[in-house]
Amino acid sequence: MTTAIAGPAGSTRERAHANRTAPRLKQSRAPYLFIAPFYVLYVLFMLVPVLVSLWLSLTEWVGLGTPHWVGLRNYRLLATDVSFHRALGNTGVFVMIAVFVVVPLALLIAQALNTRGLRVRDLWRTAYFVPIVVSPIIVALIFGLIFDRQFGLLNSVLRALFGTGGVDWLGDPDLAKVSIGLVMLWRWTGYLTVFFLAGLQAVPKELYEAAALDGAGRIRTFTTVTLPALKPVTAFVVVTSFIGAAQIFEEPYLLTGGGPAESTLSVTMFIYRAAFQRQQFGYAAAAAVVLFVLVFGLSQLFNRLFGIGRATS
Amino acid sequence: MYTPPPLPRRTLLRGALGLGTATALAACGRDSTTARTSGDVDLALWTHDPGYEAFFRKGIPEADRLADFRYHLTVTRAGPADIVTKLLAQAVAGRGTPDMAGFEIGSFPRMLRGDISERLLHDFTPDIAAVPGLKNDLLPARTAPYSKDGRVYALDSDTPMVVYYYRDDLFTKYGLAKDTPTWEEFAELGARVHKDHNASLCVVSTNGSDTAQIVQSFQMLLYQRGGAFFDADQQLVLDSAEAEEVLGFLCKGLRSGFVIDISDYYGAAMQTALKQGRVIGLPMAIWYKSYGLVPNVPEQKGKWRVRAMPRFAEGGGTTAALGGTGFGVIKDKANTRAATDFLLNTWLTHEGQVRRFIETGYLPTRRSVFEDPQLRGLKDDFCGGQRLFGLYRDLLPDVPPQHTSPDQSILFDVLAGNLLRAYRGDVSPRQALRRTAEEFRDQAGR
Repeated sequence: MTTAIAGPAGSTRERAHANRTAPRLKQSRAPYLFIAPFYVLYVLFMLVPVLVSLWLSLTEWVGLGTPHWVGLRNYRLLATDVSFHRALGNTGVFVMIAVFVVVPLALLIAQALNTRGLRVRDLWRTAYFVPIVVSPIIVALIFGLIFDRQFGLLNSVLRALFGTGGVDWLGDPDLAKVSIGLVMLWRWTGYLTVFFLAGLQAVPKELYEAAALDGAGRIRTFTTVTLPALKPVTAFVVVTSFIGAAQIFEEPYLLTGGGPAESTLSVTMFIYRAAFQRQQFGYAAAAAVVLFVLVFGLSQLFNRLFGIGRATS
Repeated sequence: MYTPPPLPRRTLLRGALGLGTATALAACGRDSTTARTSGDVDLALWTHDPGYEAFFRKGIPEADRLADFRYHLTVTRAGPADIVTKLLAQAVAGRGTPDMAGFEIGSFPRMLRGDISERLLHDFTPDIAAVPGLKNDLLPARTAPYSKDGRVYALDSDTPMVVYYYRDDLFTKYGLAKDTPTWEEFAELGARVHKDHNASLCVVSTNGSDTAQIVQSFQMLLYQRGGAFFDADQQLVLDSAEAEEVLGFLCKGLRSGFVIDISDYYGAAMQTALKQGRVIGLPMAIWYKSYGLVPNVPEQKGKWRVRAMPRFAEGGGTTAALGGTGFGVIKDKANTRAATDFLLNTWLTHEGQVRRFIETGYLPTRRSVFEDPQLRGLKDDFCGGQRLFGLYRDLLPDVPPQHTSPDQSILFDVLAGNLLRAYRGDVSPRQALRRTAEEFRDQAGR
């Protein structure tokens, strides 16, 4: 029995042990106490909403009163909802623009800005970065004026240069997507350029010197030195661009409202519309869960493809 | 005798903190629901329009005189859609709801979904019935949009009939008749004016970011022609011969130049078109003078006139209805009675409705007020001193009811897209309406 060792000597040892372990216990608790606020907030503002959304997606709720349990009905309806399919397709187009147009352009601009002897480099950097700090509402207002079919700046320029105008930038379903793409390009290219620029400045000069000694030209240096060296930055930029574009809301919401004929409706706009214009909170939650699963799954796939988080040999 | 030891400072601090937290939490608790029956009342009003705020503030002395309350008003302004969103969010939270809220007619249908209106809004039906003659005096066309199952949940701010605005000076200059009786004849004149002077006599909106605007252009003429979106039972009745005729008329007008498509009724595109004389006339609601013409082209003061719209040769009335804002009271609150009395004593009295038109330009919602001699004598400076009220009174019998549905936003989304397709000539008016009806039925069941 444990009491058998509780002699006077043992008591002394125990007291001594206790005296040593009490502060140790306190010490061992301290780190947890320090990191606890993060976990409490994470649970409150991340896990709880996610779980509530998941539960809400299995109900029908108008925003007031008690939600009614409908099981997987919302998901079944989403599977046959033409609007949701359109929203997924449009979001896919915006993701493609972000990953295959905006990212490469940002890389090229960063490369240009990194060139030796470039004058007023800081001015260029600022000029490219400014769009990201402009309020999206201002962006939408200005681009609304630029893209206007009859009185817009873009058509006026086209008319002056080529004698032809009247292009319905925001009214034509295909051109509306292009217009949103142009705004994305204007808004996000400079921001991503900053990341590439930081990456470029970290590439060791010796590599370029070695390439020069080997007689590599500009393009070969770019493909064999710059691109491999930028792989971690590129991976980060691609994944964040993908996640950002998959959740695109501001540009289409403010510029086209998802129109014309839902040609620019994104999934996040679909969710917003279902929840806050149609009072279908359960349905909106189901769409949000689908978006989450898609974005999470594809992000994981990208992470594996680019080897993000793995040590390089 | 045992004397308790003095409390350590830390314990005292903990106690104080606990007490403070409990007090703060209690203060954040649900609103008190003990009904106030008299005395000082601080009413919380949510509205999107500063004009309404000014109206209600000026109405306080009269409301004080007619009720047992002494009113104070706290006003919060927000966008029309935000008012509904925030109201529902606060209702879920169980606190922070206003006592009165102004629901723009396009946002109100959200309140009709499920049992939201029954749960949240005070039913004015008994209050209206309690005032002798009021029920018959209130225009049914303006209680219909805010009613459900025969109960009235909001009182409208306006009888927003649609009229025809035109530039008197340019009509004279171009030799255009100012009293063309039918739309069909008017469209022929419009085609000629467009050809000769690059000007248009009618406008449709193609504002992609605002489906309601796109729909409005069509809605005005549809309702004038005798068509509608929904019937009194909230069933879709859009797919009709009248709707096809009106849409065909607009599409043909776009091809001839009689109609011009503008991206925004209220913004830069319209301002440019008005200033350049590209738009010299348009059908629009009476409130458009204050919200569209005066802010965009103040320098054209005195040049504009208002007349009744031409009729459609095949039938229909002389006007339509577009817009409006219903003021509702939140039920089961301490101030519910006080807010109801306030609304009835400012918004619904004869004097209140006269003052409302003079101060805000919104037409009365009581039939009898249209006979008021003071209103009939008013001149409008922007419209060259025209006495407009007589015209409005003559149009009153033709104002159609606007029945809505909880699924109205679905209709607007699908209709806007199909209207644009028809305007562009991608589909025929018939196809556009059929597709709209099909898409609506597909989505409305969800």
